[in-house]
Amino acid sequence: MNYFLKRTIQLICTLITVSIITFCAFYVIPGDPARVILGPDASDEQMDNLREDLGLNRSFPVRYFRWVSGALTGDLGKSLTFRQPVSELLGQKLPVTLSLAAMALLITMLISFPLGILASGRPGKFLDQLLSVLGNIFFSFPPFVLALLMTLLLGLTLKLFVAGEYISFTESVPGFLASLFFPALAVAVPKIAISQKFLRASILAEKNKEYVRAAKSRGLSDTKAMVLHIIPNSLVPIITVFTIIASEILGGSLVVEMVFNIPGISRLLITAINVRDFPLTQGIVLYLAGMTVIVYFLADILHSLVDPRIRLK
Amino acid sequence: MLKYNKMNMGEDVRGEGEVSMQCLRIGRRLQVLRCACLVITLFLFTFSQLSCAPLFRTASRAPDDGSIYGGEVVVGITQEPTLFDPHTVVAAGDEEIIFNIFEGLVKCTPDGHFEPALAIDYSISEDAMTYTFLIRSGVRFHNGEVMTREDVVYSIRRAAGLDTGTPLRSELSDIQSVTLSGENEVSIVLNEPDAELLPFLNVAIIPRSVSDINDTPIGTGPFKFSSYRVSESVILVRNDDYWQEGIPYLNKVTFKITADMNTAFMQLRSGSIDIFPYLDPEKASQLTDDFQIISGESDMIHVFALNNAVAPFDNPKVREAMNYAVDRESLISLLMSGEGTMIFSGMSPAMGSYYNESLENAYRYDPGKAVELLEQAGFPDGFQATVTVPSNYAHHVNAATIIADQLRKVGVELTIVSVDWATWLEKVYTDRDYQSTVIALTSEFAPRDVLNRYVSDAHNNFIGFNSKEYDRIFSSIRSEPDEDERILAYRRLQEILVSENASVFFQDPRNIVAVRNGLIGYVVYPVYVQDLSVVHYEGAKE
Repeated sequence: MNYFLKRTIQLICTLITVSIITFCAFYVIPGDPARVILGPDASDEQMDNLREDLGLNRSFPVRYFRWVSGALTGDLGKSLTFRQPVSELLGQKLPVTLSLAAMALLITMLISFPLGILASGRPGKFLDQLLSVLGNIFFSFPPFVLALLMTLLLGLTLKLFVAGEYISFTESVPGFLASLFFPALAVAVPKIAISQKFLRASILAEKNKEYVRAAKSRGLSDTKAMVLHIIPNSLVPIITVFTIIASEILGGSLVVEMVFNIPGISRLLITAINVRDFPLTQGIVLYLAGMTVIVYFLADILHSLVDPRIRLK
Repeated sequence: MLKYNKMNMGEDVRGEGEVSMQCLRIGRRLQVLRCACLVITLFLFTFSQLSCAPLFRTASRAPDDGSIYGGEVVVGITQEPTLFDPHTVVAAGDEEIIFNIFEGLVKCTPDGHFEPALAIDYSISEDAMTYTFLIRSGVRFHNGEVMTREDVVYSIRRAAGLDTGTPLRSELSDIQSVTLSGENEVSIVLNEPDAELLPFLNVAIIPRSVSDINDTPIGTGPFKFSSYRVSESVILVRNDDYWQEGIPYLNKVTFKITADMNTAFMQLRSGSIDIFPYLDPEKASQLTDDFQIISGESDMIHVFALNNAVAPFDNPKVREAMNYAVDRESLISLLMSGEGTMIFSGMSPAMGSYYNESLENAYRYDPGKAVELLEQAGFPDGFQATVTVPSNYAHHVNAATIIADQLRKVGVELTIVSVDWATWLEKVYTDRDYQSTVIALTSEFAPRDVLNRYVSDAHNNFIGFNSKEYDRIFSSIRSEPDEDERILAYRRLQEILVSENASVFFQDPRNIVAVRNGLIGYVVYPVYVQDLSVVHYEGAKE
């Protein structure tokens, strides 16, 4: 129980810190949401009306404390731009980002595990070298280049998918998942490159340990040793790598959401910042921070499941 | 050799018993894992198959019975809509959508005139103090209610702020009263004579029974609002009860919100967008035969704006030098592949008779003369200045780059400062804390609205133009009942902008629209709207 208490306190501290930093950022950067919403040609009267409407005529610290007191009771406020409750907007966009993240994570695991095992099979030999080179190449691809290349090659030339076609999950669930497949692949490719390398290193490290040699000398076959001992025991560092990857992916894949026109959290965040929508930005940032803390918490539990010697403290 | 992993804090060598126990446990775990993997693989395979199917390739469908009615189109937009309340909307990106939902007493036509819409006829009194409209009968709102004169009165009173004291549309601030008169007529009485109010009476007529028009946008237009999902789409459906016979044709119009011009273009090519306005000429040339490219005048003023209140541009000689140093022709050909009309003052040729064509070629590109003028102004060695541009508009950034290059030839070193839109609006537009900028100015399709921004105390006079003569002429136009006199006055105002070298006005860019083949009827308006009521699919049998 002590452990959960500690984690909860940690979560709250993180959220407070993050919200203060966001607040400071908004305080410093120029830009008036009323002007952005109404455009350059709005008259002063129209601006004043809107400011009154949105409660922008109060000083920024006052607005912040109002927001905090709302947030404490679970009310994240209303978006200035969309005039909808922030929680409603998050509810609309979260399923999209979460599905994309889950799919990307799945693809990463499904591809990187076999590749990592394959590469560690005969270290230094052709296959290992090939995978290492490919890994380096894909890892160093900036995400926007990869996303654009995929759209051009797979979408426009090979016509495997319609570039920019997004089907909402309210319309059709298989269609929704299908429209997320290639974006998820774009997110996954660089992650596969990293996790494959970690897996290889981790397996190799485990392979040379004495208990493995002991088991083998007692007549255990190579395959059995690999499947029963080496892989399970090399999972602990891999979970750490996947935790980092998961928290990155769950935070939304900015570039991929933009290029593939996926209306997820990242696009909402960009819009929110561009129009200086303070409540909406705060809401999204809180989600991102909270998500990261929760992912690390889950990773701890996973660690203790995989390696019972690790206790939750 | 023992290697310790950081995460593996326990010991690495285990006893025999422990190993076998471990084997059992892991064996069971692996089986579960294996099953899970299989399921997941199947799952993934199905999705990838699905996405390969051409099922999702047709975003739009033509009606299959060969008639020209029916079908749906997807229009690409790059701005997130923010408001649907037609009286508070100011953003051009919102206006292009709600043009299809709401209508006013008068409506703008593609050739830039204002025709009666929800009014059948109108008259303006001799003294330009009273406007009387004969209201069309039998018009229904999207919620089924019949539009009445009371709705007209309610809507105009609301927009003019007669009940609250603060007008929602500032152009209507001179309205004194709106009353029912005669048989099915509505009279609008003004505080001061104004012969040019008509273009602003396109203000949307909304039902007085609807309290939150932003949440439930109900109008009389050819399309009904159906749904809006943030950063996805705005969907409109056909209004079957539309008062105008024969239109609209389409059953459904989707305004698809894209992240930026590049993704929109990608989607245009892939087939998920059918119509895309304000296309970059360079991109338009990359489109294949699947599209028709339609273009028209846009009533937009692309300007290298100089802050008249700040050195060195507070010196008229320097501003004049800039006008000679910018090569408009090469600028337009580099920036727009020639798809723009050169301008020299603050009005577009799209304004017809109000436009002063005698000012064409008021400045002929002449770097020698520019250097001379700079010498006279006390800058024999040129000077350094900054140009602040909004980074989200690649167009303006590119224009600034070309201009900076041209100015280098006369010894002016222009540093480009690229800021985001919100910052630009505050720093440049509101605070006027800048030396120069590049921006495109849009306005209502009315000469008064175009030239209002150069009146010295206008809130949107961000270039800080200050001319007493200009102010005097501008304020006298309003009460001038004779249209010819007004036209002369507007032409004079444009001359003043040139003689005082207000800024470097360089082009009216053409609005280039890509329309998928098979769709016909699209018309380009000189204002920022998309009229989808006239767009239809080519009939199979004609």
